[in-house]
Amino acid sequence: MVVTQKGVILAAEEGTGKGILSFLKQALSQNCLDAVLVPARVAAGDSFAYFLVQDEAFLEEASPLPPIMTVQGARVISSLTKRGKGKKKIAVIMRPCEARAAIELAKLGQVDLEHMTLITVDCPGVMPLSDYFKDPTKGDEVFKDASQAWNSKPMRPVCRICDKFSASGGEDLHVGTLGTNTGNILIIPHSAKGVSILNRLGIAFEEDMSAWETAVENLTEKRKKERKQAKKTLRADIEGIDKLTEAFSACINCHNCMRVCPICYCQQCNFDSDKMKFTFGDYIARAEARGSLIIPTDTLLFHIGRMLHMSVSCVSCGMCEDACPTAIPVAQIFTLVGDRNQEAFDYVPGRNVDELLPLTTFEQEEFLEVEQSYAGVSARQERQDD
Amino acid sequence: MQESRLGRRDRMTRVLGIDKSPEDGLRELLRFLLEKGRVKGVLALREMGENGAISYSLITNPDHVDSTVPLYPLMPVNLAKQLSRLTLMEPAGDPVAVVLRPCELRAFVELVKLKQGSLENFLFISSTCGGVYPLEMAVAGDIEEQLAQYWKALEQGELIPDIRSACKACTYFVPYTADITLSILGNREIGKQTVLFLNTDKAQRFVEGIPGQFSEEEPDSATLEEIRKAREAERQKLSDNVETKALGIDDLTKTFSRCIDCHNCSKVCPVCYCHVCFFDSKESEHGPVYYETALEKNGSVSMLSDTTFYHLVRLYHISASCVGCGLCADVCPANIPLWAISLKVGDSVQKAFDYLPGKDVEEGLPITAYKPEEFAEVG
Repeated sequence: MVVTQKGVILAAEEGTGKGILSFLKQALSQNCLDAVLVPARVAAGDSFAYFLVQDEAFLEEASPLPPIMTVQGARVISSLTKRGKGKKKIAVIMRPCEARAAIELAKLGQVDLEHMTLITVDCPGVMPLSDYFKDPTKGDEVFKDASQAWNSKPMRPVCRICDKFSASGGEDLHVGTLGTNTGNILIIPHSAKGVSILNRLGIAFEEDMSAWETAVENLTEKRKKERKQAKKTLRADIEGIDKLTEAFSACINCHNCMRVCPICYCQQCNFDSDKMKFTFGDYIARAEARGSLIIPTDTLLFHIGRMLHMSVSCVSCGMCEDACPTAIPVAQIFTLVGDRNQEAFDYVPGRNVDELLPLTTFEQEEFLEVEQSYAGVSARQERQDD
Repeated sequence: MQESRLGRRDRMTRVLGIDKSPEDGLRELLRFLLEKGRVKGVLALREMGENGAISYSLITNPDHVDSTVPLYPLMPVNLAKQLSRLTLMEPAGDPVAVVLRPCELRAFVELVKLKQGSLENFLFISSTCGGVYPLEMAVAGDIEEQLAQYWKALEQGELIPDIRSACKACTYFVPYTADITLSILGNREIGKQTVLFLNTDKAQRFVEGIPGQFSEEEPDSATLEEIRKAREAERQKLSDNVETKALGIDDLTKTFSRCIDCHNCSKVCPVCYCHVCFFDSKESEHGPVYYETALEKNGSVSMLSDTTFYHLVRLYHISASCVGCGLCADVCPANIPLWAISLKVGDSVQKAFDYLPGKDVEEGLPITAYKPEEFAEVG
């Protein structure tokens, strides 16, 4: 996927975060950028939020690689640009899944990337919110140790099986940390915008990135295997309508998975709209048809509807699972379904902003096998998963 | 309406006794109501599927009553919100018996005042309430092993360890407007007897002919008063808790700074009924000029800048009607003690208006009832 594999090695003696900040400071002071959108600790010190920053003093306080994802970065860019793109040139420091979601939202007309420079960082994963908020001080330590060692154990379940933790090609600049000495970071440009920033800063990027590439490839291979295995186990637990119903049976219909999802962008969800309001008589009739009716109704329909709408663009960021009050493995289930749908269309969400969404492109010759029975399709997909 | 509240010392109430444990006794009552055609449906908690998920269910087939767990100590949703969904477009066309907790009933009465539903045709069955466990305990599968201890503590009228803070501090554990009140809190006969106070004529009519003993009884108000005092002390303790001690703007900003802006507190809140919240509407979206102006002025701007504003406005909108059900805190992904804040603010607003939400459907909402003589001191 990755276009150019030349980059520059920058010294980062005080760690990856400080290294990134020092690069950004340089870009700000030389007017390559007007502002930076970057996570930083909130006032109480026990959480993180995105801040739009132009003063270098504020930038000093930022945390480019926080231990948790409180709001998906793509949503933040959407808040910033959906009413217009503004005048300032802004660089955004993001996890790769956040940048990929931002690119999907750009295709969906929900963000404007014209004035945005997406800068991604090799991602060790993030901790589940519930684990972190139990004891934020301890959480900071756990994350520090685990991220340095690339130990994914304390991270979100979907982070542990993430095979797109590095550059995907859609970002403007990528910060590499894998396969390089601690004390260094790599800056790798992946777009004309990225190249132009480095040029204006007078930074040559002719260095060979093959050690990083090899490290990324190796970890990708390892994660791919783990992902395949995790999906296989999960598929046994959720396949078929009975098991799927069981998997979502603890759903309280709060729709928080949709609310925090970067891809679910509808101003008003169909499932929160007047279309889902029924008369008392309707409810009783539905109860009588089977002897009883679960209240709240239509929870599984909601999840399947959401799946249908967003699974080709799902970047497996894990926000949905983190925000679920009843700990349904929503992100893992959506990852399984998303991967299948994306493979079927040979589509990788967020890979390239110019690549069209699968459902907006019709090809006369595609999916001939769908005309076969469902059993045939299912068997083929199983072979694919194995 | 107030007379129907269990706990009035000076009143004898018709009581139905069934020689079974309360959960079995309730199931028998629900089955009876369905089989005799007194109701078209019953709405109660039920165990769903193999993994033991607990969910409300609208039941029309009497055989499905066997799998109900009407007193299971969990609140997956506040039923008031669901009753509103059922009756928003039209009142219930047929009688339905509903088993719910006192705070759910109070919230529904508030929603009816707010024109979000109708009480018509419901037979409300509630109980003296021992409280419920946090959702996260249900998720971890930890409730089942607590049940024996839960029922024992109920019998003794003791505070139940590990129930939600909102429940520990709840002093409104006796339902106000239930047709039938099941006496379980501090009831020493709980293991073998279901004691149902038939508060309304409707209740007496509906249960006519059910096998059981009828009598005239007074509630054990001394025991209930003792429990109330213990809960009151707990309420004071939680209210004094350091996290909510100071409600100044700096402290609030800190308390809410963990907020991830998901609005799930509003989504599950039974009295937050707006179809589209202002904070989810186009009106609350900022254009680039807003961000760039703030950036020029302050050098940095939080992309979660409106969260404190959101919580303050929510408090402003709901505090008079907040029944303290605690669901907001239960679903918060950032563990913000939302319920404790609502308790403090709700208590003071409700005291100022001498208003208890959900006590009486005839009582107007404070801000709909203007009295020329009130709040002279504010002027």
